[in-house]
Amino acid sequence: MSDEPLVEHLFRHQFGKMVSVLTRIFGLSNLEMIEDAVQDTFVNALTKWRIQAPDDPEAWLMQAAKNRMVDLFRKTKAENKHTEQLYYSPGAHHLNELFLDHEIEDAQLRMIFVACHPALKPEEQIAFALRSIAGFNIKEIAVGLLLPEETVKKRLQRARKKVVDQGIEFAVPSGADLLPRFNRVMDVIYLIFNEGFQSTHQAQIIKKDLCGEALRLCQLLLKRDEMRSSKLYALFALLCFHSSRLDTKISQEGELIDLEHQDRTQWFWPLIKLGNEAMNKAMESDELSTYHFEAAIAGEHIKARTFAETDWNQIAHWYACLLEWHDHDIYRLNLAYVHIQQGNFANAERLLLQIPPKNLADRQYLLFGTWAELHKAKGDRQKANASLKEAIEAVTNDVERRYLEGKLRG
Amino acid sequence: MKEFMMIFVGTPYEELGLSPEQMQARMGKWFAWSNKMESQGIAHRGEALHDAVKRISGPDRVVGDGPFVESKELVGGYYIVKAESVDDVVEIAQGFPDYDLGSSVEIREIMVFDQ
Repeated sequence: MSDEPLVEHLFRHQFGKMVSVLTRIFGLSNLEMIEDAVQDTFVNALTKWRIQAPDDPEAWLMQAAKNRMVDLFRKTKAENKHTEQLYYSPGAHHLNELFLDHEIEDAQLRMIFVACHPALKPEEQIAFALRSIAGFNIKEIAVGLLLPEETVKKRLQRARKKVVDQGIEFAVPSGADLLPRFNRVMDVIYLIFNEGFQSTHQAQIIKKDLCGEALRLCQLLLKRDEMRSSKLYALFALLCFHSSRLDTKISQEGELIDLEHQDRTQWFWPLIKLGNEAMNKAMESDELSTYHFEAAIAGEHIKARTFAETDWNQIAHWYACLLEWHDHDIYRLNLAYVHIQQGNFANAERLLLQIPPKNLADRQYLLFGTWAELHKAKGDRQKANASLKEAIEAVTNDVERRYLEGKLRG
Repeated sequence: MKEFMMIFVGTPYEELGLSPEQMQARMGKWFAWSNKMESQGIAHRGEALHDAVKRISGPDRVVGDGPFVESKELVGGYYIVKAESVDDVVEIAQGFPDYDLGSSVEIREIMVFDQ
């Protein structure tokens, strides 16, 4: 028996791999059957391994999936010409070859592009990607996205139905279709990351896993020559910079710690280094994206050894660029915060007044919180408290509510 | 040294609907238990059992398909261990990972016939 610790997230990652490979063989129309089959394989493995642990759990599972595939093939071949061709046609891949590492990665890449097909709504794309590529089950997705399980289930069903009804190909699109879809893939990765990073709640481990999955998907794309673009490197840099701070955002008691009070010595340097390398690559061409500016801002925070040493002028500059590039109220809100740090209260107020609260949807509390910062910085404690109360009224999760309540008391 | 059978009784994993991460955690506990026994020099071997049951009974040899008990009472597998006494095995069985799932361990000494 092996003394090695069980590979981290073995089952989850293996789920994504197996589902992708089997989908390549059996087609997207059999996705549900494939997911059930992989689930069965896991349950069997788990039962078997209680008695005798395998030397190489990953290889064991892959072998079990192959065997399972042959079973499925026997069951479905009568009705499914697709598999028959794959099995018998002389030009077809030998089935074993589809289980080689690079072919598995290829299958996973196809799955990401399927998930981001424009026929699927953005929220369906995220649920589909988390299920079929990242291997989260319905319960985990529900916890990760703060949604009822029933909602997740419906989204997945709708997504699967669209994939089948519209005959979406299990392939990376080519020609003119590639770029818009690739952009959407990056957006979905970004959104998955944000779900993990921005909102905080009790199920911290799942949240961290969302961030980890976003990083992993990004790396999967970066492995491919034809996918490596300036924008992708910038996105990767951004995710690395943010991830490096992940462990310092929440205290051991589960309380939120803001940037000012995070223990900067605990930021994770290997990720910062990776981020810096990616950022250098991102700057090699003239192509720019919002990710470039967001990464530059995240990088600027990382660079400051203390909160007081933060180069707010540089950050204000990046936010101004970002707003010019893509007018969005969240950027405007952040710029207002930067102006408060710089003491430019008039500018901050002007920006905040431009933001209609309803534009921020469930992030409205951030606007009220920033108003509170502004009033406090100007020495108006009464108005600051009134804004804080508005923020507490609007906030949706407990950790952030406690953080705001702490501010109200302190 | 005597031989004992530890019989694992409980709901099959399939019915518990474990998430991938829960499976991961479960697996880690089983490996740890198994490693612990190994490091203590407790030899163990065993098998896992499928849930489906065939039962043949009665003078007419009627064949039935089970499970015939509630799923929380299904035998999922067994270990055979060597130990000095049943108390030692009770001690070993403290490490069984699935108590929190409502499963249990039954310990039986394997009978040896002296001629």
